[in-house]
Amino acid sequence: MSGEDRDLLAGEYVAGLMSPEAEQAFARRLTRDKALAALVEDWRARLAPLDDTAAAEPAPPALWDRIAASAAAAPAPARAAPRRAPWRFRSGWWESLAFWRGAGLAAASAAALLLVALGVQTWRAERTPTMVAVLLSDAARPVAVVNTFEDGRVELVPLAAIEVPQGRALEIWTMWDKALGPKSIGVIPRAETTPLRLDRVPLAPDQFFAISIEPAGGSPTGAPTGPVVAQGVTNTAL
Amino acid sequence: MPQSQGHAPVRESPPPPGGHEAGLAACARGDLSALQALYQAEAGPMLGVARRILRRRTLAEEAVHDAFVLIWRNAQSFDPQRGSARAWMYAVLRHRALNMLRAEQRLELSESPEEAEQPDGQEDPEAVVARLSEEKALKACLDRLEPKRRAAIVMAYVHGLTHAELAGRLDLPLGTVKSWIRRGLSSLRECLG
Repeated sequence: MSGEDRDLLAGEYVAGLMSPEAEQAFARRLTRDKALAALVEDWRARLAPLDDTAAAEPAPPALWDRIAASAAAAPAPARAAPRRAPWRFRSGWWESLAFWRGAGLAAASAAALLLVALGVQTWRAERTPTMVAVLLSDAARPVAVVNTFEDGRVELVPLAAIEVPQGRALEIWTMWDKALGPKSIGVIPRAETTPLRLDRVPLAPDQFFAISIEPAGGSPTGAPTGPVVAQGVTNTAL
Repeated sequence: MPQSQGHAPVRESPPPPGGHEAGLAACARGDLSALQALYQAEAGPMLGVARRILRRRTLAEEAVHDAFVLIWRNAQSFDPQRGSARAWMYAVLRHRALNMLRAEQRLELSESPEEAEQPDGQEDPEAVVARLSEEKALKACLDRLEPKRRAAIVMAYVHGLTHAELAGRLDLPLGTVKSWIRRGLSSLRECLG
C-alpha cells in the first residue's frame, strides 16, 4: 500500500467512514504499526475543530454520579494490583469485548454503585490486611477474598471468574449479628477488585461475608434474593 | 428577528484547572476529583458531539458515561508526545459513540422508514462549516473544497455517516462518494499540512 493510501485510510478511519469490519481490522493494525498510528493522530488534530461546532448540552449532575460509580467499579490500572504493563497503543482497549460487556452492566447498575465510589479515596494506603475472609462456593472452591485493613478499609478481591447473567449484578453482604441479618455493602457489575465501605458496620473475627446474584440495581428487598455464589468468615491474618 | 436554530457560536470550553494533560496524569494516579474536573470542563461539549452522532439524548449520555470510564481506566496510556490530551479525550468519545451508532443500526435493522425519512435534526453541513472558528485553518481549507466534497466529509465526521449512508443521502453511486471523499481528504491534507 502506498504512503498516500495509508494516509487517506487513516483519514477515513478518523472521519468514521469505515464499516465496522474494516474499522476493526484497521484498529488492529494500529496496535502494531506506529507510523500508521501517527498518521491517525495527525488526522485527529486536523479534524478536531469540527467537534467544537457542536452546541454544548447541559451535563446533568446525575450523569457524573454514574460515571464516578462506574469508575470506582473499574479502577484505573494504576491502582489495580498487580500493575499491568502500560498499553502500547490506545486502540486495543477500545476493541476489548470483555471490557464493554462489563461496562454495559456497569451502566445498568451504576446508581447502586455509588456506595462503592465512596470508598475510593481511602483505597491507596498500605496494603497489609489485618483480617482475611476466603469466600468459597458450594463446591468449596475459593471464589474471592475479603481483606480488611487497620485503617478500616475493606476490599474484595476475586480469585475466580463469576458468571453474572445479563441484567444482573453481584451484591456483597456482611453479617455480624444473626438477629439483624445480612447487610449490603456493595453492588458490582462483575467480579473485580473492589473497595468496600464498612464504616457504619462493625468488623470482627468470624464475621460473615457473602456474594449473591441480584438484579442490576441490587436486591430490591435489602436482603439476598438470588443464589449465593460464595461465602466465608473473617480470620485474623497471619 | 427569528432565532436561528440553536446556532450557538463556536464554543471552546474553559479548560479544567491545571489543564487537560495534568488532569489525565492525576486520573492515572487514581485521583477521581481530576476526572470530575475534566467532566465539568468537557461533558457539555461532549454531549453535543455525541448527540450529533447518536441523536437521542439518552444514548448520548451513555456514550459520555462510557467515554469517561474509559478515560479513567486508560489515562495512564495517554502519551502527550503523540497528541493533545483534549484531542485524545474526544477521540475516545467519538470512537465509543460511533460504535454505539453502528450497534444501534444493526439492532434496528437500520433504514427503518422513520429513520430514512427523517434526516432532519441533522444540521446542514454548510452551517457546521460556518460555525468553525475563522482562526482555524480547517475552515479555510474546507471552504476551498468543492461544496459536495465538503458536505460529504463534514456529514461523515459530524453525524457518523458511512460511505454507504452518504451515497444514499446524496443520491450518488457508492464509488463516486468514496472517490469524492478521498480526493476531498487529500486536498484537505495538502491544505492543512
